[in-house]
Amino acid sequence: MTVLPELRVEVTPTFIVSTALATRDFQDVHHDRDRAIARGSKDIFLNILTTTGLVQRFVTDWAGPGALVRGVSIRLGVPCYAYDTLVFSGRAVSTSDGVTTVEVVGRNSMGDHVTGTVRVVLP
Amino acid sequence: MKGAAIAGIGATEFSKDSGRSELRLAAEAALSALADAGLKPSDVDGMVSFTMDTNSEIALARELGVPELSFFSRVNYGGGAACATVQHAAMAVATGAAEVVLCYRAFNERSGHRFGRVSTAAALTVENSWSYPMGLGTPAGTVAMVARRYMHEYGATSEDFGRVAVTMRAHAATNPRAWFHGRPITLAEHQNSRWITEPLHLLDCCQESDGAVALVVTSTSRARDLPRPPVLVRAAAQGSGPDQYVMASYYREDLAALPEMNLVGRQLWRQSGLEPSDVDVAVLYDHFTPYVLIQLEELGFCGRGEARHFLAEQGIGLDGRLPVNPHGGQLGEAYIHGMNGIAEAVRQVRGDSVNQVNGVRHVLVTAGTGVPTSGLVLGV
Amino acid sequence: MITDEAERIAALGPSPRRPARDAVNPAMINNWTEALGDGNSAYPELAPPAMVQVWTMRGLHPAAEEHDPLAAMSAVLDEAGYTSVVATNCEQTYHRYLRPGEHVSVSSVLDAVVGPKRTALGEGWFVTTRSTWFVGDEPVAEMLFRILKFKPGNKSTASALQPTVSRDTEFFWQGTKLGELRVQRCSACGVVRHPPGPMCPRCNALDPGYVVATGLGEVFSYVVHHHPPVPGRELPYVVALVELSEGVRMLGELVGVPPDEVRVGLPVRVGFRPVGEFVLPVWEAR
Ligand SMILES: [Zn+2]
Repeated sequence: MTVLPELRVEVTPTFIVSTALATRDFQDVHHDRDRAIARGSKDIFLNILTTTGLVQRFVTDWAGPGALVRGVSIRLGVPCYAYDTLVFSGRAVSTSDGVTTVEVVGRNSMGDHVTGTVRVVLP
Repeated sequence: MKGAAIAGIGATEFSKDSGRSELRLAAEAALSALADAGLKPSDVDGMVSFTMDTNSEIALARELGVPELSFFSRVNYGGGAACATVQHAAMAVATGAAEVVLCYRAFNERSGHRFGRVSTAAALTVENSWSYPMGLGTPAGTVAMVARRYMHEYGATSEDFGRVAVTMRAHAATNPRAWFHGRPITLAEHQNSRWITEPLHLLDCCQESDGAVALVVTSTSRARDLPRPPVLVRAAAQGSGPDQYVMASYYREDLAALPEMNLVGRQLWRQSGLEPSDVDVAVLYDHFTPYVLIQLEELGFCGRGEARHFLAEQGIGLDGRLPVNPHGGQLGEAYIHGMNGIAEAVRQVRGDSVNQVNGVRHVLVTAGTGVPTSGLVLGV
Repeated sequence: MITDEAERIAALGPSPRRPARDAVNPAMINNWTEALGDGNSAYPELAPPAMVQVWTMRGLHPAAEEHDPLAAMSAVLDEAGYTSVVATNCEQTYHRYLRPGEHVSVSSVLDAVVGPKRTALGEGWFVTTRSTWFVGDEPVAEMLFRILKFKPGNKSTASALQPTVSRDTEFFWQGTKLGELRVQRCSACGVVRHPPGPMCPRCNALDPGYVVATGLGEVFSYVVHHHPPVPGRELPYVVALVELSEGVRMLGELVGVPPDEVRVGLPVRVGFRPVGEFVLPVWEAR
């Protein structure tokens, strides 16, 4: 069982806004703090497509450019607000038919933002 | 606690619906205690009750025709006040603040305001805002939380708690004053009774009652001139522990414990010069069975976590190593916030209880558990 | 009525394939890798697989969609009062990597609507859809997506007991409204404490601050409440005293775990449940 190197992401407002736009998610809670607060949030927060992308990045940073990602399954927990730090940790738990399963957790100051698995074919 | 004695005890009948006002219950019990002591209302110059009692000292004084009061006081924290009413009365007598002090508790706790229900009024305190809104809003619930941890740490089971209930009901069965007179239970009945708050069954919880109890405290020297043999207050103490809450002291290190009762016990042994082995009868506050086990430990009758062995092997029945609550306790006789237990302790010292234990010289009494509490050693 | 509508929408089958605005292209891939900080050298010759949904996002001014099952089911639930939404699960499977120049389209179908369920957020329905991305007629990726549509402060909690707040405890209840579990911490000596109060019992400083707890802890003790009835709660329910990783204990309802499966030591994490004007911390198994 291999433990993956940790990935820390400083979740600045710029990070939230630029990733939301790069994933073509224009919902106001991902770029407009006043509207986010009016909707009951503390601040703007990460969108799901970015969370999915970061989970994938966490695994391919470790697996390298030759790896083939076959699937990303995530369960969403607490929101990830601006000014928080998101720390990914994970471990490769099994390999069958050439596909390795990596368990991933992304935590912030409020708890588990995302938990899930990535299925990847290693080079 | 030099120089004070209980000279008289009085009570109403114990019921589920008294049909009278709480003030009338208080007046009836007080008059009966004064008669037992051979005193008149005009002899009374002090009164002590619970902060929870709805009857003010002046209201009771008006009904009894007590002309003047030079001492009046209240003790806080629910049933934890019971033994402290006697302590405060004894201190008043010792200092000369009063000479004859009435201690009383009267309520329609079954037909009126029931403590076993969720009290929305109680929820309105800042302190209770950490428990009531979270769904923990009954006395049984708050005790169950401690009981679960106690079971986890020491391997006690629901049957161990059940042995307390069975013994109390056996004692009540032969006490005509008891609500459960003639109605003993088996351990199987305890186990089959419905859940109130797991791990507590219905039969782990004391009944709810209407009624009143009053006691007359005076100086030992005056008590010696009265018709009844004086029952001496050999020790009296209050106790509040670290990070203390009412029924929910959940934030201190050891949850499966009653440090406030430990403090009461240490003072009682020191003041009286006695030790647990000198106690002939114990009247232990039994609103919920698990706390009887923890009290046995905190008061030094057995080691920590060993109460279940003490119950099974030594016994707390009338013929056991330590007879506990010969009147049937609050589980069997009535729930009068611990005051009926003090009356039973007086009878045991006098030697005239219906379930009299032979050769009683010293009786230990405790007050409410899970709250800041109090205790007494009464004796000859 | 909700179940009938769910069956009707599911029976419509997969929605017509909706094409992406742009073909897979290096510019958008580079925007994505730059924003996410992904230095994988396989991109942009290949597209990051997790970008598959990006290609078919509806953009800044989405056109009304007649055939989107998630939108249709959400409208039904909005109508029934389940107006709030939170995503709970996203499971993507990639059959192959996409290359610049390929043009994808997407089709979605309503998979399941389950409810009403009591959740930490309120009573709600879980809505699951399945989407498939195609290049031509070749399926290249699939996604299961689940949301919870819920009623915040629903009927069952409307009459529930609410906390009383003082100047000393206000910060805690402000925190829960923001999804923060705040634990008092003395600014002078650093000791953490719950429940909070105005003066530090260790150093007597009158300078309380707080830390935002991780919300992770273990059940220290618990009860299952059966009787008597409690305003705003369905019986039985579990209340747990949890020891948080910060070292303090806190009470809360334990939700989503059958009473027989609760035990001392069960790992939990905090959740938040709106009750009237307040938000209460609750515990969930983790
Ligand atoms: Zn301090």
